[in-house]
Amino acid sequence: MPGDIVRASVPITFTYKNRVGHALEQYLNGFKEKKILGVKCPACKRVYVPPRTVCSSCHKPIDTMVEVGQTGVLKHFTIAHVNIVNGEILDAQQPYIIGLIKLTGASSLVSAIVKAPSQGTIKTGMKVKAVWKETAQGDYGDLTYFEPA
Amino acid sequence: MNERVAVVGYKQTKHTIDSPVARERMVYELVKSLYHDMGITKDDIDTFVLASNDFTDGRTISEVFTVPRIGAYMKDETKVEADGLNAALYAYMRILTGLYNTALVIGFSMAGSEFRVPLTQSYTMDPAYERPRGIINFYSTAALQAGAYMKKYKFTDEDLAQLTLKNIRNANNNPFAARKDPGASVEKILGSRPLYLPLREAHVSTYADGACAVVLSSKKTAKKFTDKPVWIDGVGHFMDTYYVGDRDLLAMEHLTAAAKKAYKMAGIKNPKKEIDLAEIHTNFASEEPVLTEALGLFKPGSGKDVVKSGASAITGTLPVNPSGGPLGANPVNATGLIRLAEASAQLRKEAGQNQIKGAKTAVVHAQDGPGAQLNTVFIVRR
Amino acid sequence: MGRNVAIISVGYNGRFISKRPDINIPELIQPAVNNALGKTKLKPEHIDAYVVGNMHTFEGVNQPHLWASDHFNGSGKPVMRIATGGTTGASVYQAAYYHVASGMYDVVMAIGWEKQDEGDSQVGLMGILLPEAFSLFHFGPDTSSDRGIAGLGGGGSTGGAAFQAMSYLTRANAGIEHIDRVAALMRSNAAKNPYAHLQQPGCTEADIAGTPIISYPLRFGHTCPTSCGAIAMILVSEEKAKKFGLTDRVAWVKGLGSGTSDATTGNLIEGQITDPAEQQICKITAKKVYSMAGIKDPRKDIQVAEVYSGFSHQDLMWPERLGLFEEGMAPKILDKGGYAIDGELPINPSGGVTSTNAIGASAMVRVGEAALQVMGLAEGGHQVKRKIENAVAHGWGGLFQFVTITVLGKTPVKK
Repeated sequence: MPGDIVRASVPITFTYKNRVGHALEQYLNGFKEKKILGVKCPACKRVYVPPRTVCSSCHKPIDTMVEVGQTGVLKHFTIAHVNIVNGEILDAQQPYIIGLIKLTGASSLVSAIVKAPSQGTIKTGMKVKAVWKETAQGDYGDLTYFEPA
Repeated sequence: MNERVAVVGYKQTKHTIDSPVARERMVYELVKSLYHDMGITKDDIDTFVLASNDFTDGRTISEVFTVPRIGAYMKDETKVEADGLNAALYAYMRILTGLYNTALVIGFSMAGSEFRVPLTQSYTMDPAYERPRGIINFYSTAALQAGAYMKKYKFTDEDLAQLTLKNIRNANNNPFAARKDPGASVEKILGSRPLYLPLREAHVSTYADGACAVVLSSKKTAKKFTDKPVWIDGVGHFMDTYYVGDRDLLAMEHLTAAAKKAYKMAGIKNPKKEIDLAEIHTNFASEEPVLTEALGLFKPGSGKDVVKSGASAITGTLPVNPSGGPLGANPVNATGLIRLAEASAQLRKEAGQNQIKGAKTAVVHAQDGPGAQLNTVFIVRR
Repeated sequence: MGRNVAIISVGYNGRFISKRPDINIPELIQPAVNNALGKTKLKPEHIDAYVVGNMHTFEGVNQPHLWASDHFNGSGKPVMRIATGGTTGASVYQAAYYHVASGMYDVVMAIGWEKQDEGDSQVGLMGILLPEAFSLFHFGPDTSSDRGIAGLGGGGSTGGAAFQAMSYLTRANAGIEHIDRVAALMRSNAAKNPYAHLQQPGCTEADIAGTPIISYPLRFGHTCPTSCGAIAMILVSEEKAKKFGLTDRVAWVKGLGSGTSDATTGNLIEGQITDPAEQQICKITAKKVYSMAGIKDPRKDIQVAEVYSGFSHQDLMWPERLGLFEEGMAPKILDKGGYAIDGELPINPSGGVTSTNAIGASAMVRVGEAALQVMGLAEGGHQVKRKIENAVAHGWGGLFQFVTITVLGKTPVKK
């Protein structure tokens, strides 16, 4: 009868071994040397961060890695009060800022956490710089956040 | 070839956050009652197009169990893995060829009770860059877009709350909406749980269990089904690039391109004047000004004026989501198709308490992906 | 009945193989797209719209076309995603056909792929029957085998297929040796196809017979590999084909259909439960497609077939259900050499699905291979030498319940 359906919870975990791929592998290798790499289109000269294997504007395969600046301008941001973990929206211990940053030499914006001694001082248009982990390992966590430059 | 295609029948479930019936039964009952209302049987349908998604259904090739429930057994059938409005778009193309005259289109999910929408959304983020970093998701993308719009056009938190309230009140009068909040107020919205500011919990669409089914017909056979056909006179769909940092968050050029294509097909030169209402797919209330402006319905940056003047209210000059939109119910996969059903109801004067007087032309919109990466637009007329 | 539509190009990302750890999913798709474009004079800007698809639970990425949008040049273009299980690739191609035939678009690219090294395909297949599979876990089936857990009885997995194979053999009065024989033929055909995954030149019946039984009558040698690969095809209207000066080497779409039946291993017809080797929906759909294509006698009018056989007995069963042979005749025709590339009616000159299976691509590969045969462009010695007027391509999916069929030909159907 409607109203009497029984639900089964299915405790199967799907495991995937997704590859980061050719372009992002080089990006992460750059992290080992605390470098931020972009990929440059030889035709339109756009520089994309993170790198990818195709120019979205010219549709040409691209593979020329270039280093972009460690500083940039904060273009947009949101103050996050939550983290989404395994599909659940959990309160964050502290509000934190997710920004979109135009790095010097890059054509696209890169997303990152932005930290400042006082969160209220963070404004769009401000200059920010990359802060790295002391020992970088070629992991996304190496580039921990950006702070006011 | 068929020249013109119409919506000749539509029906949606009473959406809920906890359906009393299982998915297959929900779909079966909806389609059966639609056929009954229309006085037809499954044999009147030439082709079937579903919209569902294995991630939202939690089952590989999930349609193996839903297809027989819609009457497609031993018939021609296929599935779009995107919002249901794309299934309607495909069915529309199938009918245009003249190979088929009628199609059943259906979209559904159990987004209210069976899965966590943010989890299926996180599976949509790529596993090579965004997923391991964990900061960019559907919510934070919408928040970045909202923040950009609000800063550039001085659209305040109060304006956003007013806009949200408009939709909640419309949903209160919509018998199919899952969200019922008669006590909603600007203060309550402003005080709701902060997620990714400026986005708060009250701005988020209501994930629900639900389904929507639509019957399309060629002009040739439309009369057989109804004397109130709703003609699909324009369609367009375009995709944006993936990375949020590559996009123009405010211009949404690809949506404008989709709208332009649809307007051109429908012979619409000035959408601001010629469109009587819009049913659009917003996952977050903050998307409404951005999407409607990209659709050419309002001047870029006019969100504040639109809210203040009430232009997008049911009584306004260009009502947006008189149904309450996805803020009232967002059964993922069905959400955009519901917009088509709601617009059809308006044009056929069957929209009950939310009826707009004299509506003749509507724009219908659906989206997929983070920050509305893929957009689909229909122009429908009575 | 819609505008005439031609396939003008078929592109692969390269040879189908087991693992591509060096690239991600979009990077797998990109070369197939470029390969399809490269075989024509077309540039990305000439493509009006894209239709794409795969079985995304296998890779764990929901709607991966969103992530891959730049890699197939889909950004700033109309894109539609289709997914229908095993038939996905053919369903994608059919949607591309309707994009053109409807008059909505003139030049459309269809793309299908699977990168099966990203996840566990057996888990993906089992997910079809997830709750049922869960209950099987309670009963403790043997999951320790290194061949995965395909035997559980999920959709398309060996359990259900074994019932079908047994029923087929009984009905056709044939034996397991016929399955061995056709499996060996496919692997040796694959050796002549530079894109095929499992290439075994001169593979013999004995080679296959030496592989272990998984679920009688199916052996390990009767099953398909899990492959990584992508295919892209370009479909154009008749006007564009003429404009591009491409009417000589094209494959015209003459008929197509996608049928569905019930989610049982057999079909319920008029209250009677039939068996999984009956495939009523395949017969119904084939009849409809042939009528659309103007084919009166498929046995005479069709010169080559690409059928989707996840298990080798299906290479015998499907040609019969498609009306290419009388029921029960396939093993006899196989024995007489009729199946071979130079035979009376070559079946799967490409080596078929038992040699190569990147699931979301496979049903489109059938169409692409049929198109290449019609165009006379099949590479590496698997081109059929006889004159080909018409070819049929087939796909199946779900729990033996979905079927896609298309007829391609050298000359379009007159409107």
